[in-house]
Amino acid sequence: MKEKYLSEKTTNRILFILALVGVAIALYVTQSFLRKTPIVCLNSGCELVRKNPASYIAGIPVPAFGLVGYAILVILTFLRTTSNTLHKKLLPWIVGITGGGVLFVSWFTYTEAFVIGGFCTWCVVSAGNMVTMFALSLNSYKNNR
Amino acid sequence: MNLTGETKLFIGVIVGTIAIIVAAAVLMSRPTPPAPTYTREQLIPAGTNTKGTASASAFLVEFSDFQCPSCKAFSTVVDTLAEKYKDKLQFAYRHFPLDQHPFSRTAAAAAEAAGKQGKFFEASTYLFANQTNFSDEFFTKAGASLTLDTTQYEKDRNSDETKKKIDDDRFFADTARLPGTPTFYLNGRQLTVYDTAELIKAVEEAVK
Repeated sequence: MKEKYLSEKTTNRILFILALVGVAIALYVTQSFLRKTPIVCLNSGCELVRKNPASYIAGIPVPAFGLVGYAILVILTFLRTTSNTLHKKLLPWIVGITGGGVLFVSWFTYTEAFVIGGFCTWCVVSAGNMVTMFALSLNSYKNNR
Repeated sequence: MNLTGETKLFIGVIVGTIAIIVAAAVLMSRPTPPAPTYTREQLIPAGTNTKGTASASAFLVEFSDFQCPSCKAFSTVVDTLAEKYKDKLQFAYRHFPLDQHPFSRTAAAAAEAAGKQGKFFEASTYLFANQTNFSDEFFTKAGASLTLDTTQYEKDRNSDETKKKIDDDRFFADTARLPGTPTFYLNGRQLTVYDTAELIKAVEEAVK
């Protein structure tokens, strides 16, 4: 049988690291939103995004939602290492959450482009991160069906 | 509980990540010394573009970049405040052209050249309104759009004097370690404002 390009174990490790990267980014940006401190950014878009009301949902900063999503993904990818049963059972959840994450980052990227008129570098990196996680988990799910 | 090798590895990575985050949080939460206060003469040197009343007790100085989107967002409010409190407030515009904006120095030079013909603030409004249209051609045509003497405009925007003025403003901004654009000083003290409402509130307090 032809060996799969990425083993299940490797895929889960990559998903775990990407989720941790997501947590780190979301944590940094969220604290800047809450403390109202400037965000270290490659462009001036981060400040434009931070100061725009469209970056808050019911008063909650958008990156806080990312923080919760990525934290759940860290927990799920971690729990997958504890038993073979959970390894299989939790994969559809990861696909679902990252799928929801892709919809969320798509909406926010659209908001940045057409409502705020500027892009926050960290948001763009986080969006790419979420899309990568979704693609990896979906690929893994297809291989396991 | 029997942990697999993979679980132990993940726990190690999580602990390492938490340690890094805690270290970063400790470093970031260190108190920063307050920004120094400057005199009016230091913040508004001779030749600075100002409007309002020079003898007013309140003075607001903005360090701004014509290619900065946040500066554009603040510019309308600044214009309104400067007009509303023109008898009680002196407003000064200083240049803080950021390196990542390719046209910010060219825009600053265009505004300075318009200022030589008494139209600095008209040029400022025009530049912010057209921020997304900046190009070399745009700045060549800006003189005519602002109904300036275009020959003089071209001469002034390329002059050493104009360049020096922008460089001097940028030097001040770098030396004072301004956090970004726009940065405001109200009565010599650096303002910490995150949105236009906070700027309005601070100015209204100052002109009472």
